[in-house]
Amino acid sequence: MPSVQDSNTEASVAPDTPSHLLLAFLQSQSQNTLTRLYQRPSSCLSIFRLLGPLERQIVMNLLWLESAIPASTMAAWVSHEVRKSYENSLSILSRLHVLPQSTVKLALNPTFKTSLRHAIVGGGSSGSFGVPATRDEKHSPPSIEVLDSYALERWETILHYMVSSGTATRPSQGVLFLLQRSGLMASVHGGSLQITSLGFQFLLHSPHAQLWELLLQYLHMAEERQMDLVEVLSFLFMLSTMELGREYSVEHLSPTQTAMLEDLRDYGIIWQRRATSKRFCPTRLATTLTSSSPPLPAAGGVSAGAQNRGFIILETNYRLYAYTDNPLQTAVLNLFVTLKSRYPNLVVGAITRESVKKALANGITADQIISYLTTHAHPQMRKNKPLLPVTVQDQIRLWELEKNRMKSQEGYLYTAFASQADYEYVLNYAKQLGVVLWESSARRCFFGTLEGHPNIRGFIERRTAGNA
Amino acid sequence: MDKASHLGVVLDLSPKQWHLAAQPSNPHPVTLSVFLSHLLAFLNAHIACKDENSLALFGALPGRSAMLYSSTMPVNEEEIEPADANSYRPFKVMDSAIMKHIAEEIEALGEAETEEPIGFVGALTKAMCYINRVTNGAGSTSSAARNDDPAGLADPRILVISVSPDQSSSYIPVMNSIFSAQKLKVTIDVCKIFGGESVFLQQAAHLTGGSYIDIDRPDAVLQYLMMSFLPPPGLRQLMSVPTQDKIDFRAACFCHKNIVDIGFVCSVCLSIFCQPVPVCSTCRTKFPIKTLQRLNASRPNAAPGTPARAATPARAATPAAPANSLPRSTSINPHAVPRNASNGSIGAASPPMHMNGGPR
Amino acid sequence: MPPRRMNDDYMGGGSDSDVSMLDEDEHTSRGKAKGKGKAVEGRKGDKGKSKAKEQPYAWEASYTRSWDTVQEDEAGSIQTAVQDLIARGRRRRLLAPGEAVRRTIIRHLILVLDLSASMMDRDMRPTRFDLMLQYAREFIAEWFDQNPLGQIGMVGMRGGIGERIGEMSGNPQDVLRSISERHKLEPAGEPSLQNAIEMARSSMSHLPTNSSREITIIFGSLTTCDPGNIHDTLDECVKDKIRISMVALAAEMKICRELCVKTGGQFGVALNEGHFKDLLFELIPPPAQRAVARANGPGAANPAADLMMMGFPTRLPVTSHPSLCVCHGELKTEGFLCPRCLAKVCDVPTDCDICGLMIVSSPHLARSYHHLFPVKPYQPIATLDGTPNPSPTCHACSVPFQEKASQPNAPLADGVSPLGRYRCPDCKNDFCTECDVFIHDVLHCCPGCGK
Repeated sequence: MPSVQDSNTEASVAPDTPSHLLLAFLQSQSQNTLTRLYQRPSSCLSIFRLLGPLERQIVMNLLWLESAIPASTMAAWVSHEVRKSYENSLSILSRLHVLPQSTVKLALNPTFKTSLRHAIVGGGSSGSFGVPATRDEKHSPPSIEVLDSYALERWETILHYMVSSGTATRPSQGVLFLLQRSGLMASVHGGSLQITSLGFQFLLHSPHAQLWELLLQYLHMAEERQMDLVEVLSFLFMLSTMELGREYSVEHLSPTQTAMLEDLRDYGIIWQRRATSKRFCPTRLATTLTSSSPPLPAAGGVSAGAQNRGFIILETNYRLYAYTDNPLQTAVLNLFVTLKSRYPNLVVGAITRESVKKALANGITADQIISYLTTHAHPQMRKNKPLLPVTVQDQIRLWELEKNRMKSQEGYLYTAFASQADYEYVLNYAKQLGVVLWESSARRCFFGTLEGHPNIRGFIERRTAGNA
Repeated sequence: MDKASHLGVVLDLSPKQWHLAAQPSNPHPVTLSVFLSHLLAFLNAHIACKDENSLALFGALPGRSAMLYSSTMPVNEEEIEPADANSYRPFKVMDSAIMKHIAEEIEALGEAETEEPIGFVGALTKAMCYINRVTNGAGSTSSAARNDDPAGLADPRILVISVSPDQSSSYIPVMNSIFSAQKLKVTIDVCKIFGGESVFLQQAAHLTGGSYIDIDRPDAVLQYLMMSFLPPPGLRQLMSVPTQDKIDFRAACFCHKNIVDIGFVCSVCLSIFCQPVPVCSTCRTKFPIKTLQRLNASRPNAAPGTPARAATPARAATPAAPANSLPRSTSINPHAVPRNASNGSIGAASPPMHMNGGPR
Repeated sequence: MPPRRMNDDYMGGGSDSDVSMLDEDEHTSRGKAKGKGKAVEGRKGDKGKSKAKEQPYAWEASYTRSWDTVQEDEAGSIQTAVQDLIARGRRRRLLAPGEAVRRTIIRHLILVLDLSASMMDRDMRPTRFDLMLQYAREFIAEWFDQNPLGQIGMVGMRGGIGERIGEMSGNPQDVLRSISERHKLEPAGEPSLQNAIEMARSSMSHLPTNSSREITIIFGSLTTCDPGNIHDTLDECVKDKIRISMVALAAEMKICRELCVKTGGQFGVALNEGHFKDLLFELIPPPAQRAVARANGPGAANPAADLMMMGFPTRLPVTSHPSLCVCHGELKTEGFLCPRCLAKVCDVPTDCDICGLMIVSSPHLARSYHHLFPVKPYQPIATLDGTPNPSPTCHACSVPFQEKASQPNAPLADGVSPLGRYRCPDCKNDFCTECDVFIHDVLHCCPGCGK
């Protein structure tokens, strides 16, 4: 699952995989949609930031050129070892319609070029960075702390609802619908919502990846609802370029975007004093959409501070100490840890076979558990090399393998051969095809795969026909 | 690989040199205001690449140096014009802060001060101090955990934008800064807009793995900045960012601050002199009289105090030699190699000189 | 079979008496060295020895209660105490004498490695031999960092003869390559000090008088198997002004100490792995030539000092046209041009093969200049009363200073400013603690005065 953090290294990127979830979504859009999107400088700037480092540099190299340059000139600029990733970058850019595919000349999409230039040096009159609200005499704008705690509260409500499988505070109807629609939760025989295995995996992701996953689902939903995708996307990008702690006016928003306000308010992405207020504030969740700084604010005392720094200490004896008082984090840990005792700021537990099995049964993979432990390791743990005890890592993987001990495969059992010679003749043929899974000459039978069956049957039929 | 990087910029703001650079008699005149607009676009692009990228801008002024902008600088809300919908606010805040500080600093310059030597060393060392703080000790008292977080380390580099020629008096401080840059793994890039080749800055770029680019078309400076200086060091390995074609390893002598290519070195403290001296001025070591006689006899050129390749104005003003005019010196017969073949930059400006005593 | 000299008359003394004897020797050696007009850095070694005297073995040492030195503050946090300790340690180091010290900078060193069977002992982990190779590599890297103009050659002692492992070279890579292949250095047989020293001496015989000649021996054996009288070799070394320093891994031998003492070198026996490294790394800083000429009056010429003519080359890039180099006669694109005859050489520092000029790259020289022109120590500012309008931020990194003293009642004896302000005596600018340390330890250049 390409999350923001681990897909950045050039090596780990599979060919043609853009470095961000959203880019894959954008690539699936039509050129017309993208060109309309590129008319807004804020969208160009945000998309530019989501690109990989090499793509960004290619864009920057071409941005200030008035005319197209020969592709060979550009290619000479990268060294031989990275030629492959360079071509990969070009293909990503071309599928985003930022850089039209051409083997002769390279030039940026003129719309994109103009808009990104406007974003960087200023100018233009698109108003895409949000119209700030005039100073309100009655209320001073909300402080950053207010925004942070609001965002945190909203976001954790959603996650906590997922973890508790519908027993905690219910988020708003729109959120529930989105969770259901995205398959993170499913209603069991029409009753309450239950978390799915997809949902369990989702919980272990970084907040940044979670946010984007939800927003992508939102975008898919918007497509179905016949909302104008360009409006939706450009509003998200506008939010990402806004300034934290500043109020913006809703007056210049299109009807679609005004409709979005309510949804985004439920996710904790924007803040409004009242639902009918003429102004709104982006929260940290919004302003960090295109950066990699922690999207969830450092508010709320120990827990949030610990969240940014990491809070888990794992020992070689499988005992786990989590310095947290956050119910959400405790609940997430509870997915794969047997919790033993709780103190005001500390949770003690152990990773056991049962707890891991439970997690595996929920569809969480061993790698996800390990990566969660790694990203949330306490600073003290960071001194260890390797970070997590190898014994524990291996054991978690072994437990996963245990689950996969039995492998089922469909096929056909061939029995009742007339003679040993018959049996061996057919068996040899099947072996040449490489479709034999099991054989027993004593019982004169063998088991072949599903794919091999037509051939074997044909072979036997031909043979019996020949004999007859 | 895709982590935040810190860029320190040392901007040479010598009024005299910028005035000279803007003279219409130059093949490609460039004015400070035009250049600054390019520079701001470049700085915006640096921040645009990654939200967490940080920036510090230092100005070298005659006789002093000052910090003009840093990402950690508190923003004074009142001074900045209100936000508008057509610009990305962080860019606007940064641009106006930089322009305001530059204007303040230049206005504060008195008439007499403009003649003082440029405070380049101060600006460079301040940039180093700032990087030291960013990488090792941001907010030293507040958090003890910061060192445990390797992600917080910025990938630092310094871009020197120079329009002044070398000041030989700053040789030792510049070299010391280079060595500390090596220690902190800071890359020093040099963008030479005007003012001839700089021996010291060439060495700085070479020793720290940066690029030294002498810009021969200052009107296209933005493209140079984008292609060569925007990629962070991690990305540079992947692409052929131009490096300098040749590096001059000359030093400045301690006695007259001349830049010399053949010097006389005290074996005890390694002080460099441009002529044989009886006593080392640094460590007071007396040298044997025999050595002095021998060295005096074997000196390459007769006139003392005029070292062989002192930076003459003629040399300083000539553009960099293109790579293909470099010497084809097989050096089997050194007598046959004319002097100007060794550094194509002299060209026709100086007469050919042979090894055994030039025409001087 | 040559007659064997077994120099293991050491066995009689216990470890304690042995150490006290060391100490005396150390003092006499210093006296002698002064008489000869050569300074010895014996101080550090001395300290190690006296420590060794108090605590002969690690298991006899009393437990050092390192936590007792840390005091909690009112809030029960030790953060401030730790930071104070660090700050004070830094300040103390800065207050060390700031005057220019003359040091031998062009050094020539032969590193002699013991490759005898005794190196396979496992008293140091993993074996003495592996540990020695590892430390030798670190030693070489660090040595070249601090002595950029120096050269190192390698000699091994194995099977009763001296083997030349690596030629004298100024290139760390060359030297490191010579000991990179472990299987070629597999220990065997007896060591021979005399053979190895003679070999080292002959390879340094051609060097000019103004460069230092040193032999550093890592010795793990308790015997030496020599073809002749080793004392004659010793006399020759004294005559050639070769300093011999030795790090013994087993125990002290009379002849080893004598070699070091008479030539003005250092001798030490490694107590454990860490001490081995300390002893070896003490030999890295260039030996100071402290005030020799001054002591004899400014008129006295130092015979070792000389004025040398050096050329600073131009480096050709990889993109230049290939041409033949004078040192190997190979066609190469990169290289350095001799400033006098324009010959192309592959690497610096070297002597030009055509005109004989010594070619060094000036950064090599400049690396040592901070020894010569140290930054003046900054004055800690105790109070702002005397300053009309103090700068609110650090002059170097623009970090705001704290307004009030951190610990108003703390004593100020050890040069720590309670305000975290340190002022340059020349340019009168204030700097923060962080920058103060950075400027003096690393940068060696004051941002205020630009000097």
